[in-house]
Amino acid sequence: MTAEQPEPLPGRQRTVVVTGGSRGLGAGIVQSFLDSGDRVATCARSETDAVRAWSADPAYEGRFLFVGADIADREQTTRFVKEVVARWGSVDVLVNNAGVARDGLLALFSDDDADTVVDLNLKATFHVSKLVVRNMLAHGGGRIVNISSITGLTGYRGLTVYGATKAGLDGFTRALAREVGSRRITVNSIASGYLRTEMSHGLDEGQLGQIVRRTPAGRLGEPDDIARAVQFLVDDRNDWITGQTLVVDGGLTC
Amino acid sequence: MDDVQNSVLKIIGSLLEGWDRTGVTVDAGTTLHGEEGLGLDSLETAELSATLEDEFGSDPFSAGEMPETVGEIVAFYAAAA
Repeated sequence: MTAEQPEPLPGRQRTVVVTGGSRGLGAGIVQSFLDSGDRVATCARSETDAVRAWSADPAYEGRFLFVGADIADREQTTRFVKEVVARWGSVDVLVNNAGVARDGLLALFSDDDADTVVDLNLKATFHVSKLVVRNMLAHGGGRIVNISSITGLTGYRGLTVYGATKAGLDGFTRALAREVGSRRITVNSIASGYLRTEMSHGLDEGQLGQIVRRTPAGRLGEPDDIARAVQFLVDDRNDWITGQTLVVDGGLTC
Repeated sequence: MDDVQNSVLKIIGSLLEGWDRTGVTVDAGTTLHGEEGLGLDSLETAELSATLEDEFGSDPFSAGEMPETVGEIVAFYAAAA
């Protein structure tokens, strides 16, 4: 267990679903919940070295599940959630992390790219959330965190469609929080700043350098920066925070 | 049939208890919505749908049917058996 990860509450091992957890930020979130002693299920289109390492690690035996699934495919997503429920009975935490970025000026943006971004970032999130919310309704509550982006708050040249989907996620967060708040389900967003991961929104090194210069914290984010915020929002004790978008960006948008 | 009906009645009874609606008599003829029946609102209906699916693996609401009475829920499962 890494020193900075929170200790799980005594006797409370949660079942956590993280979409798109095979690499980048998603992998950081999966690692965080494995470190805090929880059961973690994730899905992605293909296995990665991280997935193979978790699957083979005896420390995670019986509490890590990977299902190969394209989250944009409803049938595959349904199969994934059913497999989690069949194995562990219920879902306590859902982290909607899976997402895709395509950059380019809107005037030149392909319709296929727009469909890809909307299908994965929004429609797939709606579907997996519906499946998991139903499970949470039947089991007395839960926590949902949607991984959003500061590009949905401030806008960024070349990321119109991506930014629109992330703004949409924040709206989805607020509406769903109102729908299910009375059933002990909280729903929040994290508007992530720019991370040094494989998918830094399609930005090149020059753009990333400019972002660092404008960031009060003086660096790009790491997956752990976001994972710690996720852990905070899903803490059993934090049941009075819902419908909110927490900005975690090193102060870039302050 | 009786087993299914008993299970459905038990689920509904448990949900009503969770919603602090005690003293409600439920049988096959009880309507789900409206003041003369259980008076379920949309979220309560969703919770019933999800709980039925959790128990039986499917539920009439998700299957596109909109049962109006407890008996129609029971009939959905009886027809599938």
